[in-house]
Amino acid sequence: MTALAKRYWHALINQKKLFVYTFLWSFFLWITSPFLIILLKSVGRNWFGKKWLPPELTLDWYKWALTIANIPQVLSNTLIIAAIAVTISTLLALPTGWALGRRKVPAKEVLTSIILLPRMIPPIAYALGIAQIFYRLHLVDTHLGVALAHVAICAPYAILVLSSTFEGLDERVLEAAAVCGASQLRTFFHVTLPLVLPGILSSIIFTFTTSYNEFTLTLMTYGPHTITLPVRTYLAVGEGYWEVTSALSIILIIPSLFVLFMVQRQVQPEKLVGGFKGV
Amino acid sequence: MSHFTNKRQNLITFLLLSPGLAGFFGLFFYPMLVTLFRSLRPEGQTSGWTLGNYAAFLSDPDFRRIIWLTFFLAITSTLLSILLSVPLALLLRRKPVGHRLFRLTILVPITVPGLIGALGLLLFWGSRGWFNLLLLQVFRFKAPLTINYTLTGLVIFYVWHYFSYTAITTLSTLEGLDPAFEEAARVAGATPWQVLRYVVIPLIMPGILSGSVLTFMAAFGAFSIPLITGGNYRPLSVAIYKQIGIFIPARWSAASAMAMIMAALQVVFLIFYMRILRRPMA
Repeated sequence: MTALAKRYWHALINQKKLFVYTFLWSFFLWITSPFLIILLKSVGRNWFGKKWLPPELTLDWYKWALTIANIPQVLSNTLIIAAIAVTISTLLALPTGWALGRRKVPAKEVLTSIILLPRMIPPIAYALGIAQIFYRLHLVDTHLGVALAHVAICAPYAILVLSSTFEGLDERVLEAAAVCGASQLRTFFHVTLPLVLPGILSSIIFTFTTSYNEFTLTLMTYGPHTITLPVRTYLAVGEGYWEVTSALSIILIIPSLFVLFMVQRQVQPEKLVGGFKGV
Repeated sequence: MSHFTNKRQNLITFLLLSPGLAGFFGLFFYPMLVTLFRSLRPEGQTSGWTLGNYAAFLSDPDFRRIIWLTFFLAITSTLLSILLSVPLALLLRRKPVGHRLFRLTILVPITVPGLIGALGLLLFWGSRGWFNLLLLQVFRFKAPLTINYTLTGLVIFYVWHYFSYTAITTLSTLEGLDPAFEEAARVAGATPWQVLRYVVIPLIMPGILSGSVLTFMAAFGAFSIPLITGGNYRPLSVAIYKQIGIFIPARWSAASAMAMIMAALQVVFLIFYMRILRRPMA
Protein backbone atom coordinates (compact mmCIF):
# COMPACT_ATOMS: atom_id res chain seq x y z
CA MET A 1 0.00 0.00 0.00
CA THR A 2 2.71 2.49 0.97
CA ALA A 3 4.81 1.35 -1.99
CA LEU A 4 1.88 2.06 -4.25
CA ALA A 5 1.33 5.47 -2.71
CA LYS A 6 5.04 6.22 -3.10
CA ARG A 7 4.98 5.29 -6.78
CA TYR A 8 1.91 7.43 -7.32
CA TRP A 9 3.55 10.37 -5.55
CA HIS A 10 6.71 10.05 -7.63
CA ALA A 11 4.69 9.84 -10.82
CA LEU A 12 2.97 13.05 -9.76
CA ILE A 13 6.28 14.80 -9.13
CA ASN A 14 7.60 13.71 -12.49
CA GLN A 15 4.41 15.07 -14.04
CA LYS A 16 3.34 11.80 -15.70
CA LYS A 17 0.33 12.85 -17.71
CA LEU A 18 -2.02 10.01 -16.76
CA PHE A 19 -1.39 10.52 -13.04
CA VAL A 20 -1.64 14.28 -13.28
CA TYR A 21 -5.05 14.12 -14.89
CA THR A 22 -6.31 11.35 -12.63
CA PHE A 23 -5.37 13.52 -9.66
CA LEU A 24 -6.88 16.71 -11.05
CA TRP A 25 -10.13 15.13 -12.20
CA SER A 26 -10.69 13.19 -8.99
CA PHE A 27 -10.11 16.46 -7.16
CA PHE A 28 -12.68 18.12 -9.42
CA LEU A 29 -15.22 15.34 -8.83
CA TRP A 30 -14.62 15.35 -5.08
CA ILE A 31 -15.45 19.04 -4.91
CA THR A 32 -18.35 19.18 -7.35
CA SER A 33 -20.24 15.88 -6.99
CA PRO A 34 -22.04 16.98 -3.82
CA PHE A 35 -23.67 19.80 -5.80
CA LEU A 36 -24.55 17.51 -8.68
CA ILE A 37 -26.19 15.12 -6.22
CA ILE A 38 -28.19 17.94 -4.65
CA LEU A 39 -29.36 19.04 -8.10
CA LEU A 40 -30.40 15.50 -9.04
CA LYS A 41 -32.03 14.93 -5.65
CA SER A 42 -34.11 18.08 -6.09
CA VAL A 43 -35.58 16.93 -9.43
CA GLY A 44 -35.65 13.15 -8.84
CA ARG A 45 -38.45 10.88 -7.69
CA ASN A 46 -38.24 7.39 -6.19
CA TRP A 47 -34.47 7.57 -5.90
CA PHE A 48 -33.86 4.81 -3.39
CA GLY A 49 -31.53 1.87 -3.15
CA LYS A 50 -28.56 1.18 -5.33
CA LYS A 51 -29.24 3.51 -8.22
CA TRP A 52 -26.77 5.98 -9.64
CA LEU A 53 -29.44 8.26 -11.06
CA PRO A 54 -33.05 9.03 -10.12
CA PRO A 55 -35.47 6.88 -12.17
CA GLU A 56 -38.08 9.63 -12.68
CA LEU A 57 -37.85 13.38 -12.92
CA THR A 58 -40.22 15.77 -11.20
CA LEU A 59 -40.55 19.40 -10.18
CA ASP A 60 -42.79 18.49 -7.22
CA TRP A 61 -40.11 19.22 -4.63
CA TYR A 62 -39.84 22.80 -5.85
CA LYS A 63 -43.63 23.12 -5.56
CA TRP A 64 -43.37 21.72 -2.03
CA ALA A 65 -40.62 24.18 -1.26
CA LEU A 66 -42.82 27.03 -2.49
CA THR A 67 -45.88 26.02 -0.48
CA ILE A 68 -44.76 24.11 2.61
CA ALA A 69 -41.47 25.90 3.21
CA ASN A 70 -43.19 29.18 2.30
CA ILE A 71 -40.42 30.26 -0.04
CA PRO A 72 -41.95 33.55 -1.27
CA GLN A 73 -42.09 34.86 2.31
CA VAL A 74 -38.66 33.45 3.22
CA LEU A 75 -37.04 34.78 0.06
CA SER A 76 -38.50 38.25 0.56
CA ASN A 77 -37.21 38.23 4.18
CA THR A 78 -33.78 37.26 2.92
CA LEU A 79 -33.72 39.93 0.23
CA ILE A 80 -35.04 42.71 2.49
CA ILE A 81 -32.47 41.85 5.15
CA ALA A 82 -29.67 41.67 2.58
CA ALA A 83 -30.71 45.03 1.08
CA ILE A 84 -30.66 46.73 4.50
CA ALA A 85 -27.35 45.11 5.42
CA VAL A 86 -25.75 46.11 2.11
CA THR A 87 -26.97 49.71 2.42
CA ILE A 88 -25.73 50.16 5.98
CA SER A 89 -22.41 48.41 5.30
CA THR A 90 -21.75 50.47 2.18
CA LEU A 91 -22.62 53.73 3.94
CA LEU A 92 -20.25 52.82 6.80
CA ALA A 93 -17.53 51.64 4.45
CA LEU A 94 -17.46 54.50 1.93
CA PRO A 95 -15.98 57.18 4.23
CA THR A 96 -13.90 54.71 6.26
CA GLY A 97 -12.56 53.02 3.15
CA TRP A 98 -11.69 56.42 1.69
CA ALA A 99 -9.80 57.42 4.84
CA LEU A 100 -7.91 54.11 4.99
CA GLY A 101 -7.15 54.07 1.29
CA ARG A 102 -6.24 57.71 0.58
CA ARG A 103 -5.51 59.63 3.76
CA LYS A 104 -2.70 59.60 6.25
CA VAL A 105 -3.99 57.51 9.14
CA PRO A 106 -1.78 56.89 12.16
CA ALA A 107 -1.14 53.16 12.76
CA LYS A 108 -3.08 52.29 9.61
CA GLU A 109 -2.08 48.63 9.58
CA VAL A 110 -3.16 48.08 13.18
CA LEU A 111 -6.43 49.91 12.56
CA THR A 112 -7.17 47.81 9.46
CA SER A 113 -6.51 44.61 11.40
CA ILE A 114 -8.80 45.74 14.20
CA ILE A 115 -11.62 46.58 11.80
CA LEU A 116 -11.19 43.18 10.15
CA LEU A 117 -11.22 41.34 13.50
CA PRO A 118 -14.91 40.31 13.23
CA ARG A 119 -13.97 38.25 10.19
CA MET A 120 -11.33 36.34 12.11
CA ILE A 121 -13.10 35.68 15.42
CA PRO A 122 -15.75 32.91 15.25
CA PRO A 123 -19.09 34.74 14.83
CA ILE A 124 -20.73 32.64 17.55
CA ALA A 125 -18.61 34.52 20.15
CA TYR A 126 -20.05 37.96 19.41
CA ALA A 127 -23.37 36.60 18.15
CA LEU A 128 -24.09 35.71 21.80
CA GLY A 129 -23.54 39.36 22.79
CA ILE A 130 -25.50 40.72 19.84
CA ALA A 131 -28.45 38.46 20.68
CA GLN A 132 -28.54 39.70 24.28
CA ILE A 133 -28.26 43.38 23.28
CA PHE A 134 -30.92 42.99 20.61
CA TYR A 135 -33.31 41.24 23.02
CA ARG A 136 -33.10 44.31 25.23
CA LEU A 137 -33.60 46.69 22.31
CA HIS A 138 -36.46 44.57 20.88
CA LEU A 139 -34.52 44.16 17.64
CA VAL A 140 -34.72 40.37 17.62
CA ASP A 141 -37.07 39.05 14.93
CA THR A 142 -37.14 42.35 13.03
CA HIS A 143 -35.66 42.82 9.57
CA LEU A 144 -33.56 45.73 10.80
CA GLY A 145 -32.21 43.70 13.72
CA VAL A 146 -31.12 40.70 11.67
CA ALA A 147 -29.65 43.06 9.05
CA LEU A 148 -27.69 44.97 11.72
CA ALA A 149 -26.28 41.68 12.99
CA HIS A 150 -25.17 40.95 9.42
CA VAL A 151 -23.48 44.35 9.20
CA ALA A 152 -21.05 43.14 11.87
CA ILE A 153 -19.59 40.74 9.32
CA CYS A 154 -20.45 42.57 6.05
CA ALA A 155 -18.96 45.98 6.90
CA PRO A 156 -15.37 44.72 7.36
CA TYR A 157 -15.64 43.09 3.93
CA ALA A 158 -16.91 46.31 2.35
CA ILE A 159 -14.20 48.39 4.05
CA LEU A 160 -11.53 45.98 2.83
CA VAL A 161 -12.71 46.07 -0.80
CA LEU A 162 -13.40 49.81 -0.89
CA SER A 163 -10.15 50.90 0.76
CA SER A 164 -8.13 48.91 -1.77
CA THR A 165 -10.27 50.38 -4.58
CA PHE A 166 -9.65 53.93 -3.40
CA GLU A 167 -5.99 53.19 -2.81
CA GLY A 168 -5.66 52.13 -6.44
CA LEU A 169 -7.06 55.44 -7.65
CA ASP A 170 -4.29 57.22 -9.57
CA GLU A 171 -3.62 60.74 -8.25
CA ARG A 172 -2.20 61.79 -11.64
CA VAL A 173 -5.48 61.12 -13.44
CA LEU A 174 -7.33 63.40 -11.02
CA GLU A 175 -4.64 66.06 -11.40
CA ALA A 176 -4.81 65.78 -15.17
CA ALA A 177 -8.55 66.46 -15.01
CA ALA A 178 -7.93 69.52 -12.86
CA VAL A 179 -5.19 70.76 -15.19
CA CYS A 180 -7.55 70.41 -18.13
CA GLY A 181 -9.87 72.79 -16.33
CA ALA A 182 -12.49 70.43 -14.95
CA SER A 183 -14.26 71.69 -11.85
CA GLN A 184 -14.15 69.53 -8.73
CA LEU A 185 -17.72 68.44 -9.25
CA ARG A 186 -17.05 67.57 -12.87
CA THR A 187 -13.88 65.67 -11.94
CA PHE A 188 -15.86 63.70 -9.40
CA PHE A 189 -18.69 62.70 -11.72
CA HIS A 190 -16.69 62.19 -14.91
CA VAL A 191 -13.37 60.85 -13.62
CA THR A 192 -13.43 59.64 -10.02
CA LEU A 193 -16.83 57.97 -10.00
CA PRO A 194 -16.36 55.87 -13.17
CA LEU A 195 -12.97 54.77 -11.83
CA VAL A 196 -14.25 53.59 -8.44
CA LEU A 197 -17.65 52.32 -9.55
CA PRO A 198 -16.47 48.76 -10.33
CA GLY A 199 -14.94 48.56 -6.83
CA ILE A 200 -18.12 49.81 -5.19
CA LEU A 201 -20.17 47.35 -7.24
CA SER A 202 -18.01 44.40 -6.28
CA SER A 203 -18.18 45.50 -2.63
CA ILE A 204 -21.98 45.56 -2.89
CA ILE A 205 -22.08 42.14 -4.50
CA PHE A 206 -19.77 40.66 -1.86
CA THR A 207 -21.71 42.11 1.06
CA PHE A 208 -24.97 41.02 -0.54
CA THR A 209 -23.78 37.42 -0.86
CA THR A 210 -22.33 37.45 2.64
CA SER A 211 -25.65 38.57 4.07
CA TYR A 212 -27.69 36.26 1.81
CA ASN A 213 -25.60 33.27 2.97
CA GLU A 214 -25.12 34.31 6.61
CA PHE A 215 -26.18 31.60 9.01
CA THR A 216 -24.64 31.88 12.49
CA LEU A 217 -25.63 35.49 13.18
CA THR A 218 -29.12 34.93 11.76
CA LEU A 219 -29.59 31.85 13.91
CA MET A 220 -29.01 33.97 17.03
CA THR A 221 -31.31 36.85 16.04
CA TYR A 222 -34.11 35.43 13.90
CA GLY A 223 -37.70 34.74 14.87
CA PRO A 224 -40.83 33.41 13.20
CA HIS A 225 -41.18 36.60 11.10
CA THR A 226 -37.58 36.78 9.91
CA ILE A 227 -36.76 33.26 8.78
CA THR A 228 -34.15 33.55 6.03
CA LEU A 229 -33.24 31.07 3.33
CA PRO A 230 -30.18 29.56 5.11
CA VAL A 231 -32.15 29.16 8.36
CA ARG A 232 -35.08 27.62 6.47
CA THR A 233 -32.69 25.19 4.79
CA TYR A 234 -31.21 24.30 8.19
CA LEU A 235 -34.68 23.73 9.65
CA ALA A 236 -35.56 21.58 6.64
CA VAL A 237 -32.48 19.42 7.26
CA GLY A 238 -33.81 18.84 10.77
CA GLU A 239 -37.24 17.93 9.40
CA GLY A 240 -35.62 15.28 7.24
CA TYR A 241 -37.16 15.96 3.83
CA TRP A 242 -34.00 15.59 1.81
CA GLU A 243 -35.66 16.26 -1.53
CA VAL A 244 -37.28 19.52 -0.41
CA THR A 245 -34.07 20.55 1.35
CA SER A 246 -32.20 19.97 -1.91
CA ALA A 247 -34.67 22.14 -3.81
CA LEU A 248 -34.17 24.89 -1.19
CA SER A 249 -30.41 24.56 -1.53
CA ILE A 250 -30.55 25.04 -5.28
CA ILE A 251 -32.47 28.29 -4.78
CA LEU A 252 -30.00 29.33 -2.07
CA ILE A 253 -26.92 28.68 -4.15
CA ILE A 254 -27.69 30.90 -7.17
CA PRO A 255 -26.08 34.19 -5.98
CA SER A 256 -22.95 32.31 -4.86
CA LEU A 257 -22.43 30.88 -8.33
CA PHE A 258 -22.74 34.34 -9.81
CA VAL A 259 -20.11 35.63 -7.37
CA LEU A 260 -17.86 32.69 -8.15
CA PHE A 261 -17.67 33.64 -11.81
CA MET A 262 -17.21 37.29 -11.00
CA VAL A 263 -14.40 36.54 -8.57
CA GLN A 264 -12.59 34.42 -11.12
CA ARG A 265 -12.72 37.24 -13.66
CA GLN A 266 -11.95 40.32 -11.61
CA VAL A 267 -10.49 39.70 -8.20
CA GLN A 268 -7.31 37.85 -7.41
CA PRO A 269 -8.47 34.99 -5.22
CA GLU A 270 -5.63 35.43 -2.73
CA LYS A 271 -7.11 38.84 -1.87
CA LEU A 272 -10.29 37.10 -0.76
CA VAL A 273 -8.73 34.97 1.92
CA GLY A 274 -7.70 36.43 5.21
CA GLY A 275 -7.92 40.01 4.20
CA PHE A 276 -5.00 40.92 6.44
CA LYS A 277 -3.02 42.36 3.61
CA GLY A 278 0.44 41.56 4.77
CA VAL A 279 0.13 43.19 8.18
CA MET B 1 -0.97 77.86 10.12
CA SER B 2 0.36 74.49 9.06
CA HIS B 3 -0.23 73.25 12.57
CA PHE B 4 -3.82 74.39 12.27
CA THR B 5 -4.41 72.70 8.87
CA ASN B 6 -2.75 69.58 10.22
CA LYS B 7 -5.22 69.47 13.06
CA ARG B 8 -8.06 70.06 10.66
CA GLN B 9 -6.86 67.28 8.38
CA ASN B 10 -6.64 64.91 11.34
CA LEU B 11 -10.17 65.82 12.36
CA ILE B 12 -11.44 65.12 8.83
CA THR B 13 -9.62 61.78 8.80
CA PHE B 14 -11.16 60.89 12.14
CA LEU B 15 -14.64 61.90 10.99
CA LEU B 16 -14.25 59.77 7.88
CA LEU B 17 -13.09 56.81 9.94
CA SER B 18 -15.82 57.14 12.55
CA PRO B 19 -18.68 55.32 10.74
CA GLY B 20 -16.55 52.20 10.35
CA LEU B 21 -15.31 52.49 13.92
CA ALA B 22 -18.88 52.97 15.17
CA GLY B 23 -19.88 49.78 13.38
CA PHE B 24 -16.90 47.96 14.86
CA PHE B 25 -17.55 49.10 18.43
CA GLY B 26 -21.34 48.76 18.29
CA LEU B 27 -21.57 45.41 16.56
CA PHE B 28 -18.36 43.68 17.60
CA PHE B 29 -16.58 45.25 20.56
CA TYR B 30 -19.63 45.99 22.69
CA PRO B 31 -21.21 42.54 22.02
CA MET B 32 -17.90 40.94 22.98
CA LEU B 33 -17.95 42.96 26.23
CA VAL B 34 -21.53 41.84 26.88
CA THR B 35 -20.45 38.24 26.30
CA LEU B 36 -17.50 38.75 28.67
CA PHE B 37 -19.67 40.26 31.44
CA ARG B 38 -22.33 37.61 31.00
CA SER B 39 -19.67 34.93 31.38
CA LEU B 40 -18.77 36.43 34.78
CA ARG B 41 -22.36 36.50 36.08
CA PRO B 42 -23.97 33.62 37.98
CA GLU B 43 -26.28 31.69 35.64
CA GLY B 44 -29.65 33.37 35.16
CA GLN B 45 -28.77 36.52 37.12
CA THR B 46 -27.90 40.02 36.01
CA SER B 47 -25.77 41.02 38.98
CA GLY B 48 -22.94 39.57 41.02
CA TRP B 49 -19.57 38.35 39.87
CA THR B 50 -18.28 34.82 39.65
CA LEU B 51 -15.68 32.73 37.91
CA GLY B 52 -17.94 29.73 38.45
CA ASN B 53 -18.92 29.42 34.80
CA TYR B 54 -15.32 29.02 33.75
CA ALA B 55 -14.60 26.67 36.66
CA ALA B 56 -17.69 24.59 35.87
CA PHE B 57 -16.73 24.29 32.22
CA LEU B 58 -13.04 23.60 32.87
CA SER B 59 -13.83 20.89 35.42
CA ASP B 60 -16.54 19.34 33.27
CA PRO B 61 -15.44 15.93 31.93
CA ASP B 62 -17.00 16.99 28.61
CA PHE B 63 -14.61 19.93 28.44
CA ARG B 64 -11.60 17.80 27.64
CA ARG B 65 -13.55 15.87 25.03
CA ILE B 66 -14.82 19.06 23.36
CA ILE B 67 -11.42 20.79 23.31
CA TRP B 68 -9.69 17.60 22.14
CA LEU B 69 -12.23 17.13 19.35
CA THR B 70 -12.00 20.77 18.24
CA PHE B 71 -8.21 20.68 18.07
CA PHE B 72 -8.15 17.21 16.51
CA LEU B 73 -10.49 18.29 13.71
CA ALA B 74 -8.66 21.55 13.09
CA ILE B 75 -5.18 19.98 13.09
CA THR B 76 -5.93 16.89 10.98
CA SER B 77 -7.90 18.89 8.43
CA THR B 78 -5.07 21.43 8.20
CA LEU B 79 -2.44 18.72 7.65
CA LEU B 80 -4.57 16.99 5.02
CA SER B 81 -5.23 20.34 3.34
CA ILE B 82 -1.47 20.87 3.00
CA LEU B 83 -1.06 17.35 1.60
CA LEU B 84 -3.73 18.13 -0.97
CA SER B 85 -2.76 21.72 -1.77
CA VAL B 86 0.96 21.29 -2.44
CA PRO B 87 0.65 18.72 -5.26
CA LEU B 88 -2.39 20.57 -6.58
CA ALA B 89 -0.48 23.85 -6.74
CA LEU B 90 2.57 22.17 -8.29
CA LEU B 91 0.40 20.69 -11.03
CA LEU B 92 -1.72 23.78 -11.70
CA ARG B 93 1.39 25.91 -11.97
CA ARG B 94 2.30 24.14 -15.22
CA LYS B 95 -1.06 25.25 -16.61
CA PRO B 96 -2.31 21.79 -17.68
CA VAL B 97 -5.37 21.52 -19.97
CA GLY B 98 -8.38 22.81 -18.07
CA HIS B 99 -6.37 24.57 -15.36
CA ARG B 100 -8.85 27.45 -15.31
CA LEU B 101 -11.63 25.04 -14.40
CA PHE B 102 -9.55 23.54 -11.58
CA ARG B 103 -8.67 26.99 -10.27
CA LEU B 104 -12.36 27.86 -10.17
CA THR B 105 -13.02 24.56 -8.40
CA ILE B 106 -10.66 25.56 -5.59
CA LEU B 107 -12.83 28.61 -4.89
CA VAL B 108 -16.13 26.69 -4.76
CA PRO B 109 -16.07 25.58 -1.09
CA ILE B 110 -15.41 29.08 0.29
CA THR B 111 -17.97 30.78 -1.95
CA VAL B 112 -21.04 28.59 -1.46
CA PRO B 113 -22.84 28.53 1.89
CA GLY B 114 -21.48 25.88 4.25
CA LEU B 115 -25.00 24.53 4.74
CA ILE B 116 -25.31 23.44 1.13
CA GLY B 117 -21.87 21.90 1.10
CA ALA B 118 -22.75 19.96 4.24
CA LEU B 119 -26.01 18.69 2.74
CA GLY B 120 -24.34 17.65 -0.51
CA LEU B 121 -21.51 15.91 1.31
CA LEU B 122 -23.98 13.95 3.45
CA LEU B 123 -25.76 12.82 0.29
CA PHE B 124 -22.54 12.00 -1.56
CA TRP B 125 -20.84 10.05 1.23
CA GLY B 126 -24.01 8.40 2.59
CA SER B 127 -24.48 4.62 2.60
CA ARG B 128 -26.44 4.97 -0.68
CA GLY B 129 -24.42 7.85 -2.04
CA TRP B 130 -22.18 7.77 -5.08
CA PHE B 131 -19.05 7.05 -3.06
CA ASN B 132 -20.45 3.86 -1.62
CA LEU B 133 -22.01 2.86 -4.94
CA LEU B 134 -18.53 3.16 -6.42
CA LEU B 135 -17.11 0.95 -3.69
CA LEU B 136 -19.90 -1.63 -3.97
CA GLN B 137 -20.33 -1.83 -7.71
CA VAL B 138 -16.93 -0.98 -9.14
CA PHE B 139 -14.53 -2.07 -6.40
CA ARG B 140 -16.75 -4.98 -5.29
CA PHE B 141 -16.90 -4.09 -1.61
CA LYS B 142 -19.18 -6.38 0.43
CA ALA B 143 -20.74 -3.68 2.61
CA PRO B 144 -20.93 0.10 2.39
CA LEU B 145 -18.56 2.15 4.53
CA THR B 146 -20.13 4.34 7.19
CA ILE B 147 -18.73 7.83 6.76
CA ASN B 148 -21.49 10.26 7.70
CA TYR B 149 -21.57 11.23 11.38
CA THR B 150 -18.18 9.60 12.03
CA LEU B 151 -14.89 11.26 12.90
CA THR B 152 -13.41 10.27 9.53
CA GLY B 153 -16.39 11.79 7.78
CA LEU B 154 -16.05 15.03 9.71
CA VAL B 155 -12.38 15.28 8.77
CA ILE B 156 -13.21 14.71 5.08
CA PHE B 157 -15.93 17.38 5.23
CA TYR B 158 -13.63 19.84 7.02
CA VAL B 159 -10.90 19.37 4.41
CA TRP B 160 -13.48 19.84 1.65
CA HIS B 161 -14.64 23.10 3.21
CA TYR B 162 -11.44 24.69 4.38
CA PHE B 163 -8.57 23.51 2.16
CA SER B 164 -9.20 26.45 -0.21
CA TYR B 165 -7.28 28.90 1.98
CA THR B 166 -4.16 26.71 1.91
CA ALA B 167 -4.48 25.95 -1.79
CA ILE B 168 -4.95 29.59 -2.82
CA THR B 169 -2.00 30.97 -0.86
CA THR B 170 0.25 28.04 -1.85
CA LEU B 171 -0.61 28.48 -5.51
CA SER B 172 -0.10 32.24 -5.49
CA THR B 173 3.26 31.94 -3.68
CA LEU B 174 4.35 29.25 -6.08
CA GLU B 175 3.44 31.38 -9.08
CA GLY B 176 5.43 34.26 -7.65
CA LEU B 177 8.50 32.02 -7.44
CA ASP B 178 11.32 32.75 -9.86
CA PRO B 179 11.86 29.63 -12.02
CA ALA B 180 15.57 30.52 -12.14
CA PHE B 181 16.04 28.90 -8.71
CA GLU B 182 14.80 25.55 -9.96
CA GLU B 183 16.69 25.86 -13.20
CA ALA B 184 19.90 26.47 -11.28
CA ALA B 185 19.28 23.39 -9.12
CA ARG B 186 18.46 21.30 -12.17
CA VAL B 187 21.55 22.44 -14.04
CA ALA B 188 23.58 21.56 -10.96
CA GLY B 189 22.31 18.00 -11.41
CA ALA B 190 19.49 17.75 -8.86
CA THR B 191 16.72 15.19 -9.50
CA PRO B 192 13.12 16.48 -9.69
CA TRP B 193 12.54 15.16 -6.17
CA GLN B 194 15.60 16.99 -4.86
CA VAL B 195 14.56 20.22 -6.58
CA LEU B 196 11.16 19.93 -4.93
CA ARG B 197 12.46 18.93 -1.51
CA TYR B 198 15.42 21.33 -1.17
CA VAL B 199 14.48 24.28 -3.39
CA VAL B 200 10.76 24.68 -4.08
CA ILE B 201 9.20 23.58 -0.78
CA PRO B 202 11.49 25.71 1.43
CA LEU B 203 10.88 28.74 -0.79
CA ILE B 204 7.07 28.47 -0.74
CA MET B 205 6.96 27.54 2.95
CA PRO B 206 5.75 31.01 4.06
CA GLY B 207 2.79 30.71 1.68
CA ILE B 208 1.94 27.20 2.80
CA LEU B 209 2.19 28.26 6.45
CA SER B 210 0.04 31.38 6.22
CA GLY B 211 -2.60 29.50 4.23
CA SER B 212 -2.67 26.62 6.64
CA VAL B 213 -3.08 28.91 9.64
CA LEU B 214 -6.11 30.37 7.86
CA THR B 215 -7.43 26.85 7.26
CA PHE B 216 -6.75 26.01 10.89
CA MET B 217 -8.60 29.07 12.16
CA ALA B 218 -11.57 28.47 9.89
CA ALA B 219 -11.72 24.82 10.94
CA PHE B 220 -11.36 25.77 14.61
CA GLY B 221 -14.32 28.14 14.38
CA ALA B 222 -16.41 25.89 12.12
CA PHE B 223 -20.08 26.00 12.99
CA SER B 224 -22.57 25.04 10.30
CA ILE B 225 -20.61 21.98 9.11
CA PRO B 226 -20.35 20.22 12.48
CA LEU B 227 -23.84 21.42 13.43
CA ILE B 228 -25.34 19.49 10.50
CA THR B 229 -22.85 16.71 9.84
CA GLY B 230 -21.39 16.21 13.31
CA GLY B 231 -24.02 13.94 14.83
CA ASN B 232 -22.75 13.25 18.34
CA TYR B 233 -19.44 14.99 17.70
CA ARG B 234 -19.76 18.52 18.96
CA PRO B 235 -16.78 20.83 18.64
CA LEU B 236 -16.60 24.04 20.67
CA SER B 237 -18.82 26.30 18.55
CA VAL B 238 -21.61 23.71 18.37
CA ALA B 239 -21.26 23.03 22.11
CA ILE B 240 -21.73 26.77 22.72
CA TYR B 241 -24.84 26.90 20.55
CA LYS B 242 -26.30 23.83 22.23
CA GLN B 243 -26.12 25.60 25.62
CA ILE B 244 -28.71 28.01 24.24
CA GLY B 245 -30.50 25.79 21.76
CA ILE B 246 -31.13 22.75 23.95
CA PHE B 247 -31.28 23.84 27.57
CA ILE B 248 -34.43 25.50 28.88
CA PRO B 249 -33.89 28.08 30.28
CA ALA B 250 -30.96 28.81 27.97
CA ARG B 251 -27.59 28.73 29.71
CA TRP B 252 -26.30 32.12 28.53
CA SER B 253 -23.55 32.44 31.12
CA ALA B 254 -22.13 28.98 30.44
CA ALA B 255 -22.29 29.64 26.69
CA SER B 256 -20.60 33.01 27.14
CA ALA B 257 -17.76 31.51 29.21
CA MET B 258 -17.14 28.91 26.50
CA ALA B 259 -17.31 31.59 23.79
CA MET B 260 -14.73 33.71 25.63
CA ILE B 261 -12.36 30.75 25.86
CA MET B 262 -12.85 30.15 22.15
CA ALA B 263 -12.30 33.79 21.22
CA ALA B 264 -9.16 33.95 23.38
CA LEU B 265 -7.72 30.88 21.67
CA GLN B 266 -8.55 32.35 18.27
CA VAL B 267 -6.74 35.59 19.13
CA VAL B 268 -3.66 33.53 20.03
CA PHE B 269 -3.80 31.83 16.60
CA LEU B 270 -4.28 35.21 14.97
CA ILE B 271 -1.14 36.62 16.59
CA PHE B 272 0.71 33.54 15.45
CA TYR B 273 -0.60 34.11 11.91
CA MET B 274 0.49 37.74 11.82
CA ARG B 275 3.95 36.72 12.99
CA ILE B 276 4.23 34.28 10.08
CA LEU B 277 3.16 36.97 7.63
CA ARG B 278 5.69 39.40 9.03
CA ARG B 279 8.56 36.95 8.84
CA PRO B 280 10.80 37.78 5.88
CA MET B 281 10.89 35.28 3.01
CA ALA B 282 13.48 32.60 3.75
